[in-house]
Amino acid sequence: MADKDPGRRDVFAGAAALGALGTLSWVPRTRAQTPKVGPFTIVINNSPWFDGFRGAVEAYEKESGNKVNLDVNPFGGSLEKQRASVRARDGLFDLLIMNGLYYQEMYHGGFLTPISDIDPSFKLDPQMIRYDNTVYWDEATKTHDPKGKLMSVPVNGNIPLLLYRADLYEQNKLKVPETWDELLDNAKKLHNPPRIYGIVQRGARGSPNDISYDWWPYLYSHGGKLFRDEPKSDYTVTINSPEGKAALDFYIRMAKEAGHPQTGGLAQAQIIQNLATGRAAHALLVIAAWSQLDDPTKSAVVGKINAARVPGSAKGKPAPVLGHWLAGVPKNVPKERQQAALTFLNWFQTRDAQMRYMAAGAPPVRQDVLSDQNLWKDPKNRWMPAMAQSSDFVQLMWSVPEGAQIGDVLELRLNQAVIGELTSDKALNMIADETHAIMQRAGYKTGKIAPL
Amino acid sequence: MASRDIKTDRTWRAIALSPTIAIFVLMSVLPVLNLLAMSVNEISWVAGHSVWKYVGDAHYGRLAADALLHKGAVNTMVFAVGGVTVQVVLGFLLAWVVSRMTRSRLIYRTIFILPILVPGILIGAIWKLMLNYDFGLLNGALEVFGVNPIDWLGTPSLALPAVIVVDIWHWTPFCFLLLLAGFESLPQDVQEAARVDGAGTWNELRFVLIPMMMPVIVVTFLFRFVTSLKVFDEIYLLTAGGPGSATEVISYTIYRTFFAQDRMGYGSAMSVAVLFGIALLIVVALSAAHRQRGST
Repeated sequence: MADKDPGRRDVFAGAAALGALGTLSWVPRTRAQTPKVGPFTIVINNSPWFDGFRGAVEAYEKESGNKVNLDVNPFGGSLEKQRASVRARDGLFDLLIMNGLYYQEMYHGGFLTPISDIDPSFKLDPQMIRYDNTVYWDEATKTHDPKGKLMSVPVNGNIPLLLYRADLYEQNKLKVPETWDELLDNAKKLHNPPRIYGIVQRGARGSPNDISYDWWPYLYSHGGKLFRDEPKSDYTVTINSPEGKAALDFYIRMAKEAGHPQTGGLAQAQIIQNLATGRAAHALLVIAAWSQLDDPTKSAVVGKINAARVPGSAKGKPAPVLGHWLAGVPKNVPKERQQAALTFLNWFQTRDAQMRYMAAGAPPVRQDVLSDQNLWKDPKNRWMPAMAQSSDFVQLMWSVPEGAQIGDVLELRLNQAVIGELTSDKALNMIADETHAIMQRAGYKTGKIAPL
Repeated sequence: MASRDIKTDRTWRAIALSPTIAIFVLMSVLPVLNLLAMSVNEISWVAGHSVWKYVGDAHYGRLAADALLHKGAVNTMVFAVGGVTVQVVLGFLLAWVVSRMTRSRLIYRTIFILPILVPGILIGAIWKLMLNYDFGLLNGALEVFGVNPIDWLGTPSLALPAVIVVDIWHWTPFCFLLLLAGFESLPQDVQEAARVDGAGTWNELRFVLIPMMMPVIVVTFLFRFVTSLKVFDEIYLLTAGGPGSATEVISYTIYRTFFAQDRMGYGSAMSVAVLFGIALLIVVALSAAHRQRGST
């Protein structure tokens, strides 16, 4: 697959070289090097990678002697608490762990302190992945221009990977799929319900997002888009294009021909459950769930699952989407707590911290760790090549602060299409109409294309 | 002298009531006024501060065309009427049976009220596991009889009935308790007289107990009906309004508008409309109950 592509190979060689340089320049920080600061509070979601983050925090506390309070919530609950805190006169939380789908409202709303304003000497480590430059914010142009200010530090690089049953692939002599058609073929060959489903998809109406995140790689790789040209501020809604329809029809076809009979009711937890119990041959899933699948106390398929880049509509054109997490410091908390949060982030971006983070079960956010060939050799890290190979193709779903509203529309209408309550045409036209109304109300330059 | 007494009485009454009135204004009137103010504004956030833009009745105008809100309203009514009717009937029957017991009444009463003591979050977890398509207890039991598994929470036609069943399990004990208290307060001599006159169990129930219990039944129904219109936790925990809009209820629509979509102006308009709708329903229901009492 990727190895046959000389361009890709060059990229990996470069990444590995960069990694080696990063390793050489890295100096382990000791307790004496991490300043003693007062306690501070992190508000975070209880996603599958949380155990890894908690492990890193515990390591930080032990190493530095500093105290960190964790306020742990469900995905939606974390956003609600963050909103309430940043809108109050005095904020409760000192470090916000923001998802790639809603960090925009924190940037646009002016709720965060640029990191250089807290400590002008703070530099984001060159090895830290920038995730489509979403860590930066140019207030004047409202874009993620790296010339703008550093607003956040990445803490999780969730992108979907194709997880598949390597043992069944070996038994059936299957090739790892590069296109959606190949994936459908393989899924059909392994589909034997109710013992095993060819593929399990996140088709549920999520709170806040399930089906839209699962479907977006299909949309992008089929050439569909939510807006005509978002970077150029053309917010004409184009999701109901023929490409969008092809993507949704294929997604539904996959569910019907090789999927779970109740795809419309499956959220991320059920996907993990089906994989871990050996009832699913494939799934698109963020790698954060990996530690559960390889944990003998939680999984019946330890060592049997492998990871690959998500397929595309054509070979070499995958379109994984960002579902990453960024850490930002709010404006409305005292300086000393901002400083305490930044001290933690400074420690967190070191290679040593990232190694501990990974050992505790979370995917690292440093390129030199992610592309470290020595780590790849360890069978328990067999997901790492796929993750590293995906980062070049990764795209944001949207960058407008109205993402929460748009996401809610998408979840309902896409789910209705999957369960057969709406046709794909009608669902996409409704998404287009409702998204257009959202953008119009918010004052964007927007428009619609002819309905399907 | 008498008029001075009346004046003093009025003064003391006003003084005595003022803390209650102050608390009522603070806790109820002000939030509703704030909600009204929000409902005629579009609220956004710029540079960390909220910006209110007056939009008049635009939000209210949009309510009429909101298909999801309408679906939520219909589902809420189905949920409330269907669920509460069954709860009151079951609660009545259980209370009637327990009221006739002499020895083990306390044991049964304790057992029957257990579900209302379980926290909502646990009920969600328990029933979500029980109704799970792949690993649920219910489908496991069906499999023993050779019946194919059913997706109770993922099938549009089954999801709302499944949530109603959970609500019935959860809240029937509440109806049972109120109705048992009603049975226990009935005059024994009327029932004894009916038995002396040769009324059998059915006739005693039909012509003596039900008419005498009617005020308690109506109050129980109304009380549960009003609280049922506010259903949220079971929907949030079991189905998140899905599949599609099959279990969308008004509270959940408002929650998503307010908190998931962060549309405070429109969410407030929805809340105000629902608030007045429920208030109207209560007034109509109470007047109907009052008229019925007057006619009997």
